[in-house]
Amino acid sequence: MEGELLLRDDREPVGFEWSKIRSVTRSDLGIRFVFGTGIALIAAVAGMVVGPKFGGLFLAFPAILPASLTLIEKKEGTTKAWADASGGVFGALGLAAFALTAMLLLPWNPAAALVLALVAWAVTSMGLYFVFRMTGLFLLQDRLAAKGQ
Amino acid sequence: MSIWVGGFKGLLGGVAVVAFSLIGEAGHPKRFAGLFSAAPSVAVASLLMTVLLKGSAGTVPYARGMLIGSAGMIAYCLASLYLIDRLHALLGSILSWLAWLMVAGGLYLMLGR
Repeated sequence: MEGELLLRDDREPVGFEWSKIRSVTRSDLGIRFVFGTGIALIAAVAGMVVGPKFGGLFLAFPAILPASLTLIEKKEGTTKAWADASGGVFGALGLAAFALTAMLLLPWNPAAALVLALVAWAVTSMGLYFVFRMTGLFLLQDRLAAKGQ
Repeated sequence: MSIWVGGFKGLLGGVAVVAFSLIGEAGHPKRFAGLFSAAPSVAVASLLMTVLLKGSAGTVPYARGMLIGSAGMIAYCLASLYLIDRLHALLGSILSWLAWLMVAGGLYLMLGR
């Protein structure tokens, strides 16, 4: 992991460059579709055979991360793959907020519960990202996890 | 659940994963884009279908299981940070599945099925 490259990348403004989507190959999308379909099927079958709580575990299984991290490493290097995984920590914390919100609000109103759960994911993951970005806590996280930092 | 419903859940999950991964592809910087790697893509599709088929009472246990799985996901991402830097992406991210298995599996057994 190259600290300088990571620091330069971190300084980029936050946003979306939609034209980058055109560079995604069909095989990259195909791999993600197959893994996504596979884990949704596993969750459905596990829920049916063992029980819904067991099936629910797989709704938060990192099925596509190995494929996407490997693709990022191949295209942009290990540092960028590491940065993606680092952002994944905040996404995962948001995932817990999603599940908790859904669990609490589903009995009240199922449709609103799912929408609010998505909002909880976005607020938690993006909120934590911006707190870490503005306070420089990324540097601490990098020092703790990376080798020889 | 019929084979058709299971198949449809799978297809919807695949489409949701592709949609979130495209948002992640467009996002920058990379650490911000990484948020979408752990987006609730499969969960949204699957919970939506379960709500439609079984109602909210039948969906709550899935969300409860997902909350346990989320703890595993946090452990997975932290482990992958450590392992990717040392073993590269493919091996590091696959070995990190063990962290998910230990935390999610352990909590599932501890908290009762």
